[in-house]
Amino acid sequence: MAAVARGELTTRDRLRRRMLSLRRLREQAIEGFIFLNALLGVAVLVGIMLLLLREGLPLFRDYSFIDFITGTHWYPVSEPPTFGMLPSFTATLWVTGGAIAIALPIGVLSAVFLSEVAPPWLRDVLKPLIELISGVPSIVIGFIGLLVLAPFIADALNLNTGLTGLTAAIMLAFMSLPLIISISDDALQAVPDEYREGAYALGATKWQTVWFVLIPAAFSGVTASVMLGIGRAVGETMTVLMVAGGALKIQHSIAEPMRPMTATIAAEINNAVQGGLQYRALFATGIVLFILTFIVNLIADIVLERQKRKFQR
Amino acid sequence: MTSNGEGQGLKLDITVAGEKMMQAREKDAALTQTATAHLRADRVNLYYGHFCALRDVSLEIPARSITALIGPSGCGKSSFLRLFNRMNDLIAGSRVEGRVLMDGVDIYSPDVDVVSLRRHVGMVFQKPNPFPMSTFDNVAFGPRRQGISKRSQLKDIVERSLREAALWDEVEDKLQEPGTALSGGQQQRLCIARVLAVQPQVILLDEPCSALDPIATLKIEDLMRELAAQYTILIVTHNMQQAARVSSQTAFMMADEERAGRIIEFGNTRELFTKPKDKRTEDYITGRFG
Amino acid sequence: MSTLAGSRREVFARRWIQIAGFSLAGLATAAVIAPVIWVVADIFVRGHSAITWDFLTQDPARQGKEGGIFPVIVGTFYLMIGTLIFAVPVGLQAAIYLSEYARPGRLLRLINLSIVNLAGVPSIVYGLFGLSLFVFTLNLKTSIMAASLTLACQALALIITSSREAMVAVPREWREGALALGASRWQTTRHVVLPRAMPGILTGIMLAIGRAAGETAPILAVGVAFQLGKLPNSPDDQFLALPYHLYAIAIQVPGMPESRMWATALVLLAVVLAFNLGGIILRIYYGRRRQS
Repeated sequence: MAAVARGELTTRDRLRRRMLSLRRLREQAIEGFIFLNALLGVAVLVGIMLLLLREGLPLFRDYSFIDFITGTHWYPVSEPPTFGMLPSFTATLWVTGGAIAIALPIGVLSAVFLSEVAPPWLRDVLKPLIELISGVPSIVIGFIGLLVLAPFIADALNLNTGLTGLTAAIMLAFMSLPLIISISDDALQAVPDEYREGAYALGATKWQTVWFVLIPAAFSGVTASVMLGIGRAVGETMTVLMVAGGALKIQHSIAEPMRPMTATIAAEINNAVQGGLQYRALFATGIVLFILTFIVNLIADIVLERQKRKFQR
Repeated sequence: MTSNGEGQGLKLDITVAGEKMMQAREKDAALTQTATAHLRADRVNLYYGHFCALRDVSLEIPARSITALIGPSGCGKSSFLRLFNRMNDLIAGSRVEGRVLMDGVDIYSPDVDVVSLRRHVGMVFQKPNPFPMSTFDNVAFGPRRQGISKRSQLKDIVERSLREAALWDEVEDKLQEPGTALSGGQQQRLCIARVLAVQPQVILLDEPCSALDPIATLKIEDLMRELAAQYTILIVTHNMQQAARVSSQTAFMMADEERAGRIIEFGNTRELFTKPKDKRTEDYITGRFG
Repeated sequence: MSTLAGSRREVFARRWIQIAGFSLAGLATAAVIAPVIWVVADIFVRGHSAITWDFLTQDPARQGKEGGIFPVIVGTFYLMIGTLIFAVPVGLQAAIYLSEYARPGRLLRLINLSIVNLAGVPSIVYGLFGLSLFVFTLNLKTSIMAASLTLACQALALIITSSREAMVAVPREWREGALALGASRWQTTRHVVLPRAMPGILTGIMLAIGRAAGETAPILAVGVAFQLGKLPNSPDDQFLALPYHLYAIAIQVPGMPESRMWATALVLLAVVLAFNLGGIILRIYYGRRRQS
């Protein structure tokens, strides 16, 4: 040690110093490698956007954008082929709207039951069960819709076929429900007890407290859950492919066969020649889908952030 | 008001002038409320499951005045306060023995509708808890639940209540803004206005100023003094100076060896603070513990 | 004029509104749960009779109307492994970065936003992505490789989110203790955070793989087939998979005996639910162990 004080370094010290800087280098290398992997996550999302644009946008060199968006005829094999996306787009709106119309009231009421009514043991049983619903593959849901629900709907509404937007909407509602219930339940649980106490002390019943204080207070959470539910319904493919009917014309009601955008892509992608017009039209449809789900998820994210801040005071 | 205390005893039965009048009312046992509300706890035990939180508590609270409850933390002051609007019912496993009377009526009797009770006995909490709605909607909450829906009626009630709570001048042009945007002191006065809107006879306050700054505290204390002309007020406080400032009577509570709360001494505020009859009271007041 | 007993009419109305309201809430919950239980039970009842040892171990014959689904199960199995191989290393490291290394700032917000949106991308769009990138641009052709990569991209968001949650839940004091002893950040992560977060991470992985096993849309265009002569020999080959097989026999083959459809659905459901259930049980088991 005296040697060090005298300003001379022993071999051992030099070695130790080199090892320390080596270790630091190793640390930085590891951190860099990990960081690259994290960027890969962003890269995939950006990659999806870019690839969709690369394959889809060239459509509009040879096909009018207006005709794509507003055209009502989608005939890939006619001469010349037409790619009017409108029936698919409205079909998506029909099934999504129907799904949310069913899932929203049922979901919020269920969340109220789980959060405010059910005793803790029942809640512990029901929550995992509901979570399990979201684990059922969409193909199985579509399968059930095809074999069980469709004949029933055909019977009940006296239709030619049970493969309609309504059938799809009902099945989609089931797929959105776990999401809506779980997030709304979290939102209700997050409402501080002081609001409940204040309401009871003013002479409100439990139901009045839930309806007039808790649900308004949990509003942003519920909104976010609906947004995510919409996202799930918009993006669902196999269920609507099997059950919604497949017809490509403008619909007048929800109880008609129809083909939402996801089903259009899934049905035709294997027949489309790479680089051809149909191929590009399908990718362009994919762009529309991507934008739709992106917006919906963004809204949900913003709303959830705001709710978190509201109760953090 | 004379106070008859047994200094050493664990039980304190206080008779108040006009007791005969009270007894007559009790005999009637009418369920109708009069404009004054006189509260009484009669040998009350409060249990949370197996745990006894209050033991053998008896107290008579005169109408239209301010009564303070003081004592060290954990002695059951809040639990005692909540007897009177049955907020303890919300805790699973809670059980009350003895009688809690409002104008001679046992509020724990099965004839009494607890929701209606809570409109007669209002409560203000330690931390101001305005609902996440506009100031107007906060004050209108109670009346709306009672079925009043006409806008003009609600506006009158809201203005009256906010004036009574000494908050009207500060919020009259921002009634639609969220109640949570107000300052702490204003929020607490909003909570008081909210309670006043349902026209109670009794107002219970659970350490209402402990989350507020000194200036806001003084404003609330002034407000309490004004309200005492019309309402029966029971306030739990950690702040002895506050109790001395605002109340006419004070009760001192402590937890016994089994952590059950008991009333040690009750009497005229000035006397209790200057010439306490029980040594434990004296120790607490002079700051030897607590 | 109000009394402590309350106006009889008002008390009555109040009470019944409350009963009605909460009953409706209970009914809604039942409306959600009952059909699902019924569906699972139904699939079991209608499908289990066709599940014989032969069914599980033989090749399909006559367009799937006879024989078994052995190569289909194998194909799904290969896909799960492939997804695992590609998604877990990347996803786990991304989660490690987000949990242990990232500093708050615009880059972090961007990454978080990306992951949230990745989770919301429709599965068919992943299929398009996989087709364009893996099959065409990278020239992997329609193959197990391409399909695994596609499914891995989809699983990425789920794995990153669940792994990060598991790691963030590790108490801060543990990290600080290790760092204060002179451990580097990587050493802390590897020896303190990861072991503790491992159950949560494993749960997330199981759920993600289970989900990948059930996905049809992403693999539609990138390699899945309905009838192949032989089992896939290499990652370059095409393959069969349970979800697509179910779709094909339900829609595209006339005269398919229903019992075979139910049986296939049952097998698929069993595989997916096994993983989901396994993940949930793992979470509960380790959650309870931690509490003791």
